[in-house]
Amino acid sequence: MNMLYVLIPLALMLLGVAVWALVWAIRSGQFDDLESHGWSVVLDDDQKPPPGPGETAEEEEEKP
Amino acid sequence: MGTTEGACFHCGEPVPEDTSLFVLRDGQKRPVCCAGCQAVAELIFSSGLGRYYQFRQDLGRKAEQDIQQELEAWQGCDDRESLWGAELADGRRDLLLQTEGIRCAACAWLIRSHLENTGGVHSVQVDTATGYTRIIWSPALSKLSKLASSLMELGYKPHLPLASAEEQGRQTERRDSMKRLGVAGLGMMQVMMYAVGLYAGDAFGIEAAERSFLEWVSLMVTLPVLIYSGRIFFQGAWRSLRAGRPGMDVPVALAISLAFIASCYNFFTGSGEVWFDSVVMFIFFLSLGRHIEMMLRHRNLQAGTALARLLPEWAERITPEGRETVPAGDLEAGDRVLVRVGEGFPADGALVLGATEVDESLLTGESRAVGRREGDKVIAGTINLSQPVEVEVTASGEETTISALGRLLLLAQSRRPEGDAIPQWLVPVFIMVVLTVAGLTWTGWQFIDPGKGFSAMLSVLVASCPCALSLALPVVYAAASHRLLNEGILLTRGQGLEALSRIDTVVFDKTGTLTQGAPELVSIEINPDRKELEANAIVQIAAALESSSAHPIARAFRQAAEKNAAHRQIRVDDIRVHPAAGVEGRIDSRIWKIGKADFVFIAGRSGQDDSIWLADDSGWVARMTLQDSLRQDAQATVGHLRGQHLQMIILSGDSQDAVGQLADRLQISDRHARQSPQMKLEKLEAMRAAGRTVLMVGDGVNDAPVLAAADVSMTVKGGAELANSAADLILTSESLSLIERAIETARRTQQLVRQNLTWAVAYNASVMPLAVLGMLKPWMAALGMSLSSLLVVANASRLVRGSTTERVSESQPALEAETS
Repeated sequence: MNMLYVLIPLALMLLGVAVWALVWAIRSGQFDDLESHGWSVVLDDDQKPPPGPGETAEEEEEKP
Repeated sequence: MGTTEGACFHCGEPVPEDTSLFVLRDGQKRPVCCAGCQAVAELIFSSGLGRYYQFRQDLGRKAEQDIQQELEAWQGCDDRESLWGAELADGRRDLLLQTEGIRCAACAWLIRSHLENTGGVHSVQVDTATGYTRIIWSPALSKLSKLASSLMELGYKPHLPLASAEEQGRQTERRDSMKRLGVAGLGMMQVMMYAVGLYAGDAFGIEAAERSFLEWVSLMVTLPVLIYSGRIFFQGAWRSLRAGRPGMDVPVALAISLAFIASCYNFFTGSGEVWFDSVVMFIFFLSLGRHIEMMLRHRNLQAGTALARLLPEWAERITPEGRETVPAGDLEAGDRVLVRVGEGFPADGALVLGATEVDESLLTGESRAVGRREGDKVIAGTINLSQPVEVEVTASGEETTISALGRLLLLAQSRRPEGDAIPQWLVPVFIMVVLTVAGLTWTGWQFIDPGKGFSAMLSVLVASCPCALSLALPVVYAAASHRLLNEGILLTRGQGLEALSRIDTVVFDKTGTLTQGAPELVSIEINPDRKELEANAIVQIAAALESSSAHPIARAFRQAAEKNAAHRQIRVDDIRVHPAAGVEGRIDSRIWKIGKADFVFIAGRSGQDDSIWLADDSGWVARMTLQDSLRQDAQATVGHLRGQHLQMIILSGDSQDAVGQLADRLQISDRHARQSPQMKLEKLEAMRAAGRTVLMVGDGVNDAPVLAAADVSMTVKGGAELANSAADLILTSESLSLIERAIETARRTQQLVRQNLTWAVAYNASVMPLAVLGMLKPWMAALGMSLSSLLVVANASRLVRGSTTERVSESQPALEAETS
């Protein structure tokens, strides 16, 4: 029994997973906006936004 | 990005002296120019998004002070399901809004962070390049006007969802291309790995069972790649054959399919080598080339979207019940609409109430306002300057003059000549050579060793597959576009560079191209009999009289007055605007008039006089000359272009006088005034028929068909959006010196294109004899192909690297001009 006959089908299965993951990522738009997500790493450690969507919504109603 | 003293913290515009608005940040007061910017900055800080100011690469858009009115218009549309965006399976909506004011990645981040905290919004994506914001939201939890108001609060201006189908189509195309590329790439890695095993087997020995197993696995991986990623090449080849014009896809499809079929044949009969690795490698590299090309193409905004943006989006319709704000697209012939001062006409129509002046520079290129009385026709997209008027709509939407102009533009674009770019004639020649040689090889081997005939013929097709050749152009154009972007020039059509490198004639449109596009006060002549007032006081009075008008001339006076240190507000009563004539008003019980000669003091001067006169009850006081001033570096740029023996021509819609004066200052002898778009088009076509290669530099919408008909076209900053989308290159800063820079880059690009093509052709030509003689093993061909492609890419990237050092030494003045 040659290891080749085990390892290559295994590699092929991994290839299938990789293709599926890639297609899923492209479909869900992960490659559409390559710029701004990179910025969020440096930008996000500002003081935290007010917690919860409820508060934000209120604030918006004050400022039409 | 730092802001200077006295500049608005948010938008960078100068803070008016009588304004003292601040935002608090880190205990410091930062000045802002208006309540709009203040509200935006405060909102950004209070939501914890203040980092935006640290990382943004460009200043914000000046916020609108009063978003209330626009918000109400949006609220009127809350119930229209057609504006909610495409419906998704779970009831959510996929809305695509074109948004004005998105400048850099920090803007995108700001919008995302703010909107995703709003109730009912699932996810937000922002495309910085095109300004499209995609919002996935639930209509049950939120409202359209709420989304719009969230964007407006941040100082961005969303447009009504229009023509989003095209953008959606482009996105699908982009995603499909990425999927094809990814599948081909992953497949290539696998098959190459097995190929290494097979080649190693050739060298060191391999069991027959293992060899055929590896070959079988290669086949199993190659087949889906061929079907999924390679499909476009077969489709392209089929289309071009049916059209009777074989393109690059034909030898590609032929090589891929023959190599695959032969490999399968050899595998199943056990009679020889397989070339599955070569097949997937071709597909991958070719897909890569196509992908780069597509990304370049997509940068060009759709003409239709830009055209739609020229028309006002909203109209104030007058109904028996009162006034209502409706989307301009809803108007029908017979509707009555109110158009306020400074607004654009939402549809073609006839004036039914009031008289006004209209800025029609959009269509005619004429920078002066035109008088319009009751019964006169007005055209959608032109601007109402002096009085609110009522218009009865005669045509709206697709039937308006401006839409017809848009169609003219599309026609001109489709008529644009292919150009005698090298690849255009090279493609059929190359195909013919490859096919002939492949055929001859097969025939030749029939006499020597019939068994080797088929495999030698395949070797020819494999070895000569134009991998490097297909990459040669796209990579250079991608690099050139990158370099141009660094310098402030947006390239929308790669092929434009080819024409730009060999232009011999430059055609300028006067209004707004060589000039600032707005009149400026250049001289004041004071009546020798009335010396009691000095020039400064006269300017102040003129500005005060014109204070309520949106007319460009009024703006010129206001600017001149504000420049002066002793600027103060003069109170004017009883202002009466006489359309197409002038303004009168009372200052301290004296009646003043400002305007054209015959309006100000009855007779004496001819109607041809272009000056603006100021008079009071006892006669004229001053005569003022206004002129559209030259752009700062117009003189230097024209001189430089002349130094390169380029012929320069001015084609303008403006009056004889204005054009003559300007041309004299720039020493351009070839000038034509009062040109309609049609005349410009004819002149341009005549020039091209005479064998000249023409660069057109323009800015107005009326230029769009002309821009499209020139060999290569360019627009300057501030140019209308439509002109931009017809142009090959867009200058993003005010500096005209970018024109020379673009020409220089184009020439260097062309040089690299020639080098790449020469290399690709030479490589293919030199390996061909080896393949014909059956001396070239497939793995050698495959390796050579990759190296050849890499060389082409590396050569192209020299263009990007070369730019950084030159920029530091050469472009300092340009940079200073930008920031000041």
